[in-house]
Amino acid sequence: MAALDDCYNIFDLRAAAKRRLPRGVFEFVDRATEDHLAVTGNRTAFTDVKLRHRSLVDVSGRSTKTTLFGKPASLPMVIAPTGAAGLCWYRGELALAKAAAAAGIPLTLSTASMTAMETIAQEAGGRLWFQLYVWKRRDLSYQIIERAKAAGFEALIVTVDSAVAGNREYNSRNGFALPFSPNPRFLMDIARHPSWTLGVMGRYMTTIGMPKHENYPAEFQSTITAGAAGRRDEMRIDSLNWDDIAKFRDMWPGILMLKGVNRIDDAMKAITYGVDGIIVSNHGGRNMDSAAATLDVLPEIAGAVGDKCTVILDSGVRRGSDIVKALALGAKAVLTGRATLYGTAVGGQDGAAKAIGLIQTEMDKTMAYTGCNTVDEISTDIFFQDWRSNRG
Amino acid sequence: MSRLDDCYNVFDLRDVAKRRLPRAVFEFVDRSTEDEVALRNNRAAFERIKLRHRSLVDVSGRQTKTTLFGKEIALPMAIAPTGAAGLCWHEGELELAKAAAKAKIPFTLATGAMTNMEKIAREANFRLWFQLYVWKQRDLSYGLIERAKNAGFEALIVTTDTIVPPNREYNARNGFNIPFKPNMRFTFDIMRKPEWFINVLVKYLTTIGMPRNENYPPQYQKALRSDPKMFDVMRQDNLNWEDVKIFRDKWPGILMLKGINRVDDALKAASMGVDGIIVSNHGGRNMDSAAATIDMLPEIAQAAGDKITVLLDSGVRRGSDIVKAVALGAKCVLTGRATLYGTAAGGEAGAAKAVNFIKTEMDKTMAYTGCNGVDEISTDIFFGDRERNTMVGA
Repeated sequence: MAALDDCYNIFDLRAAAKRRLPRGVFEFVDRATEDHLAVTGNRTAFTDVKLRHRSLVDVSGRSTKTTLFGKPASLPMVIAPTGAAGLCWYRGELALAKAAAAAGIPLTLSTASMTAMETIAQEAGGRLWFQLYVWKRRDLSYQIIERAKAAGFEALIVTVDSAVAGNREYNSRNGFALPFSPNPRFLMDIARHPSWTLGVMGRYMTTIGMPKHENYPAEFQSTITAGAAGRRDEMRIDSLNWDDIAKFRDMWPGILMLKGVNRIDDAMKAITYGVDGIIVSNHGGRNMDSAAATLDVLPEIAGAVGDKCTVILDSGVRRGSDIVKALALGAKAVLTGRATLYGTAVGGQDGAAKAIGLIQTEMDKTMAYTGCNTVDEISTDIFFQDWRSNRG
Repeated sequence: MSRLDDCYNVFDLRDVAKRRLPRAVFEFVDRSTEDEVALRNNRAAFERIKLRHRSLVDVSGRQTKTTLFGKEIALPMAIAPTGAAGLCWHEGELELAKAAAKAKIPFTLATGAMTNMEKIAREANFRLWFQLYVWKQRDLSYGLIERAKNAGFEALIVTTDTIVPPNREYNARNGFNIPFKPNMRFTFDIMRKPEWFINVLVKYLTTIGMPRNENYPPQYQKALRSDPKMFDVMRQDNLNWEDVKIFRDKWPGILMLKGINRVDDALKAASMGVDGIIVSNHGGRNMDSAAATIDMLPEIAQAAGDKITVLLDSGVRRGSDIVKAVALGAKCVLTGRATLYGTAAGGEAGAAKAVNFIKTEMDKTMAYTGCNGVDEISTDIFFGDRERNTMVGA
């Protein structure tokens, strides 16, 4: 695949994805919210952290592998839940899940994904996590939890930073909001991307028909174009609260995580509720545009939490060096959303595998330069300046 | 109106306004002064403030409404006084005032407005504030105060940051100064915007004639294009605290000073019985070296405490800006350009749209930060040093 062969980093994959996807789909994946301050700030926070070479340590035996919740992962990286993988590639979630399983890292399936969780479990295998958006009618969410348990998912991630829908003006402008309400601009957009139209939408139409939210409760499982009236309202989660977490903890014997914890007090409270992991996340900058960069928020949270629960970070990871920086500041792993979606959009499973491979290589090189043989050896000792003042 | 339908935020409304208005009118609204440092910095200061999501608070009952000077408004926002609403849209002040009344937020009418205050009071009466530029001949201003009182205005806002006419080079360049001195460039400019020419200017010319400063004393109420000495009679570089004392005596309602940017000035205002101060650098339009208002707000709000109500303007374009200002001690913000862009893009409907964008954005920011009411908004939601509001590591 020529397009993939020409990609040497995530940004190349992004450029190729941009060419391949209709603008509505690409921007849904790529953009964030309002003035794009948070998404920009996430990247700047990573690039502002400067490292020092360490000389003359034998790093010939180095490895990026780690242990996450007692089980091995080939590097401290997990695929984040994203809703649009199935629009980036025909059965994109499955392609991404297979790449993750082959690479030896966990995959998180989103509530909003277009492939049934049972299909993922049967056909991809590997370590599978399920992300939950909570329905107003809580019993619908309980059904989904039971389904994930029966399908053998290892972890449940409750998203807690999406009390209201993000203000994603570009989606409305592009006629791309779920449920789809295609405007003329969107139809023109599709017409200009025939390879996507045939390779993704065409294949759906000739096989399973219009993609559906396969993991929604049965009564809301309409196709993405059908626009079940009031569905949005049904998924309103501005009433989500700690009592829900207590209930989820009772129902879910596996690993339970909260995604979108950005305050020490919330992190400490999560621990008292028996949560196993928290994900410091601003939803890739897609929800609150004034959100602080997650790498800036991470140190104090990781410091306060200590060993009481596992701290993971997402939002802004595009390079292997970003993982090294996050680990140094206390994260046990990172999640990648856009980075691996770009790969999926360019080449399905091969593209996703390429994205993971690129990041792993970059992480490996950064470990070598900083003299770290294992992920346990990564600390702020490799930083130039104390992390509190490492912005200069 | 399809152009309005394509707008999803205040910046989109700005784009439509830019397409619709003659360059001179647009720049009068949009630009500021000299190198536009203050204008940019007002925005940058808001954008630098980072917030934290709060998780798992039930915010399904949240409200943006608040109480200001003892009465309820739909969100902590009021329309700032601006002189050019009437050039953005035919009877633009009235359109804007109607949108404000329906949205249940206060509207401030400027001394320089082109719609008379009595008409605004008749047709758009929710909470009306009147902004005062003081005339050299003070009794003319006293007459204006009486007029506002009789018209039922709730508050009087004395602008204190416009001692001298600001250095708005672009207006001179565009041939757009009040009083008008249309040059070739301005004439050409208007010819390129026929829709504005017909829907705004011609509508005036065929009804009331050339728009006038309807709230000026009668002897100065000439059409906009006359009397180059106008600025001289409106010079207020001798405005001082003695004037405030007199205004306080003459005005039984809410009295505010607009453009208070120092703790000592704020405390002096409080000691003279002023009800509210507006931390403002006039939207960056006067002194280009002015500090960002959101940076000045904390120390002033802290010193003012409960002695006087503190408001803020200059730079508000997003609902999150209101949340930040409220967290740092403002009870309310004023929007000038944001709602004028809406007015220029679609009259009352456009102004309503601008207010609504900001309200929606504020609502979402409250939801993300776990605030159910305006009273719950504090610097607790800030990321970084809460006292000085500097970012960690910045």
